[in-house]
Order: sequence, then structure tokens, then C-alpha cells
Amino acid sequence: MTIINSFLDTMSALASESGFAGLFAGDGWKNIIMILVSFLFMYLAIAKGFEPLLLLPISFGMLLTNLPGAGLYHPEFWEYVDNPEYEHFIDYKRVLEEGGLLDILYMGVKLQLYPPLIFLGIGAMTDFGPLIASPRSFLLGAAAQGGIFFTFIGAAVLGLSAADCASIAIIGGADGPTSIFVSSRLLTSESSNNVGTIALAAYTYMALVPIIQPPIMKLLTTKKERSVVMGQLRQVSRLEKLIFPVLVTLVIALMIPSAAPLVGMLMFGNLLKESGACDRLVKTAQNELMNIITIFLGVSVGATTQADKVLSLDFAKVMILGVIAFGLGTACGVLIGKVMYIVSGGKINPLIGSAGVSAVPMAARISQKVGQEEVPTNYLLMHAMGPNVAGVIGSAVAAGVLLAIVK
Amino acid sequence: MGYSLLSSAQILANGSTIDPNKVDLDAGTVASVVITGISVVFIGLIILILLVTVYGKIFEAINKRSDAKAAAAAAAKAAEAKKAEPAPAAPAPVVESGIEEETVAVIMAAISAMSAGTGKKMVLRSVKTAKPQRSAWSSAGIIENTRPF
Repeated sequence: MTIINSFLDTMSALASESGFAGLFAGDGWKNIIMILVSFLFMYLAIAKGFEPLLLLPISFGMLLTNLPGAGLYHPEFWEYVDNPEYEHFIDYKRVLEEGGLLDILYMGVKLQLYPPLIFLGIGAMTDFGPLIASPRSFLLGAAAQGGIFFTFIGAAVLGLSAADCASIAIIGGADGPTSIFVSSRLLTSESSNNVGTIALAAYTYMALVPIIQPPIMKLLTTKKERSVVMGQLRQVSRLEKLIFPVLVTLVIALMIPSAAPLVGMLMFGNLLKESGACDRLVKTAQNELMNIITIFLGVSVGATTQADKVLSLDFAKVMILGVIAFGLGTACGVLIGKVMYIVSGGKINPLIGSAGVSAVPMAARISQKVGQEEVPTNYLLMHAMGPNVAGVIGSAVAAGVLLAIVK
Repeated sequence: MGYSLLSSAQILANGSTIDPNKVDLDAGTVASVVITGISVVFIGLIILILLVTVYGKIFEAINKRSDAKAAAAAAAKAAEAKKAEPAPAAPAPVVESGIEEETVAVIMAAISAMSAGTGKKMVLRSVKTAKPQRSAWSSAGIIENTRPF
């Protein structure tokens, strides 16, 4: 009899500690909805191909963190604790001693480790030749970052905090690692967003670039402007490609030190590649390193998505401001492209301006596609790659500026 | 407008910053962030444009000079060769039957590309299909065994 009693006691104890109990008690219904939302993003990633390399880890992180009782991630560990010695102090001792798997992985995000390492891999995969051959593409890369700052205005108008404004604005840079770099530094528990929601918005819109950009590009340009056929780019020598990363690092890191981690690692990866002397390192940076960091980053960023931040009006604001950011970035790029078209006497096709939105290489491919609709033999891709990679540098600079101002 | 420019300058100079948790930012602060941000991005990238253009021009000049030297040397050699021997009109190459004209044209193009820099004048005399002396396997075997190590 006692055996059956103790068996029933044990079973009921287990049942009350189980996740199912957590789901149906108190606020647990929010977790159920978040799990369903994670299914939605998994569907978008797998079936619709929305940036699956990041969106699938993020959505699975979202699923894992919303399992009650699993203890994989504790948002309360990441709040700033009062400490007389440091301005912003996180109790890492607590994280290390009591943290779950995703807490430990999230350390790489909070310590600002993962985004620069991803930039290392990106730099090792990027060819800056088209940009060196045509340095004025830098202007288009800079112009497209206007989307970031105009979105900042939009977010401020909605009365959001400075950290929220900066984090939402940087979505307009169309650069996942940059958005995570800024938001992980600035957002606190008082903000209406967390890193997860910012990353979700950023990657969703990066996947939607082929849908967002073409209408804006066609609206702002005339048929004649779109039909401009651009001449061949000059050949760039190896020495120029070697000097470029060092030069950019020096100029940008000295001007805006807070942009140094991103720009420095981007250029480091590029120099490794261009040197031709570090093949093994380049292969690792392009493949294994990128993949490992992507997995860790994705799943831990997904873990930060909490019901109270996602299932709220604030997330809707992020999504709306996000699409505005992308649209404005495209528009600014195309408009400066038009200015360059006029100044160069019709030699520059304004369509390459939209590629300043740093979604490499998708934005460049879109410029190519829209150009080909007018003139089927127009090969704009290489010309659009210049602004595209300049946009990566530009969004890293913009991130540095935002981090320098909002502290 | 003047106020926001001043605050942008202040931000850059004093490092006066905005608290991340501050809500309801006023227009002046927002304007100064936007102006500072856009200016810094543009200034940084314009500096890069200037530097990259400058060193690009230096390299173009260096490359052009060495190309010009090579071209001048080649032209000089060609002129000398012309003076030395008035070249007789080259006879049409003897082409084995069964070989397409296009193949001959490609071979002539390859030869002229090869001889372009050297200044020597090469003439295509005949085109014949090479009869294989050895089978592919034995050729591979010979290469394998005589490869320098």
C-alpha cells in the first residue's frame, strides 16, 4: 500500500514540476503562443527559405526558451546589478554557476564576441575589388545608411527609449551581426525590445529585400536612368587589394573607435584572404568558424525572445519601423545614385544605389535583375557589388556612431 | 538647427552621451543624433574615397608606365625587324583536309597572342592532325615515373 502511495506521490510531484504544468499555470499560455510563433518562423525558414541559416537557429532558440522548467535561459541573470566598481555590471558568476545551456552560449553575444567573429568570416568571403575600382561606390554605401538615421527619428517620434530607437534604427543597416552587436550592448530589461526581437525583425526583412526593394527602385527612377549600361571596371592589382583592408581599418577605427571591433574584424578577414599566405585560416574563417558562430549566435539570440516582448504592440512597432528602415535605406541609396547619374553625365545607373543596403549579395542581385528588365544584356552585378560591400562598412560605421552616442 | 549642430559637436567633442533608458527623446537630441550619425558616416567614407582614389591613381600610373615601356619596347623591336627584313607575304598555310577553318583561325589567334609581346613574327605554315604516338595510358605512366621530385 505504501509503495503505491509513494509511487503516486512521486508521480504527482513529477507532474507538478513538468513543463505541461508550467504551460497551463499562470502566464504559461504566453509560452504556448511563443512556441507556436517559433513554429511560424521555422516554417518561414524551412519552407519559404527566409535566411534559414540564422532564422532556423533563432526560431528553435525561441522554442527552447519557452519550455517551462527547462531552465535553458534565464533573462533575470542578464540584468544589470548595482555595483560600485562598474557602471554596467552583469553577475557572470551567477551565470556560470546557475546558468543553463543557452545562458552560457549567450555569453558570446553579451560579451560582443560573436558578431565581430561573423564579420571576420564575412571579410574572408568578400571581394572588395569592385569597390576599389570604383571608390565613388562608397558614397552609395554611405547614403543607404540614411535609412538607419531616419528610422531613428521614427522610433523617437513613437516615444521609445534611446536604446530602443538605436536598436530598431540599426535594423535599417540590413546587417544581422551589426544589429545584434548594437542591441546586445544597448538594450536593458527596461527597454521594450530585446536582442531576439531585433534579430527576428532584421533577418525577416533581409529575406524580404527582393520584395521590398524593386517597387521603390522603380518608383524613384525613370526608364532612361534604369537603362544606363555601365562600362567595364578596371582591373585591381593585388597590392591594392592588400593595402585596402589596412587602410580602412586605420581610417575608420581611428575616427570612430566604437566601430573598431566590427570593421577591424571585417578587414582582418579580408586581409587574410587577399594575402594568399593563410589559406588554412581563410578556409576555416569562411566555413567552420562562420558555421559554429552562426549556430551559437542564432540559438542564444532566439532564447532571448520572451512572450512579454514579442506578443506586444512593441514588436509590431519594430516590424513596421523595420520595413520603413529598409525602404528608406533603398530610397536614399537610389536618390544619391540619381545625383551621381546627373553629375557623371548619365554614366552611372542609379539602380546600383539601392545595393548600398548591405544585404550582400542579395541587394546587388536585385539591382542586376531590375536593370535587366530594361536592358536584358545589362550586367550591373559587379557595379552593384561596390556599393553593396561599401554598405557593410557603412553600417558598421553607423553602428559605431550609435554606440558612441547612446551609452 | 543651430542648437542641434552644437549638440552634435558637443557629443563628438565632450563625449556627452544619451542614457539608453531615456524615453521620449526631445527633437533637439534626435536631430543631433541624426546629424552626427549621417555626417560621421559620410565623412569617414569620403576620406576613404579620397585615399582609395589617390592610391588607385598611383597604381594606375605605375601600371601604365610599365605597360607603356613594354609596348614601346615591343614596337621598337617590331620596327627594327621590319627594317631588317622586308617581310615577304606569308603563303597560306597548308591545311590537312578535314580540319575546320574555325580551328585554323583559333590556332592563328593563339599564335599571334603568344608572339604579341615578343616582337618576333611567326608564320603558320601547316596544320596537321597529330597522330598519337603512345596511348593515353602509357603517356600517363611515363609522366608518373619521370615526374621530378
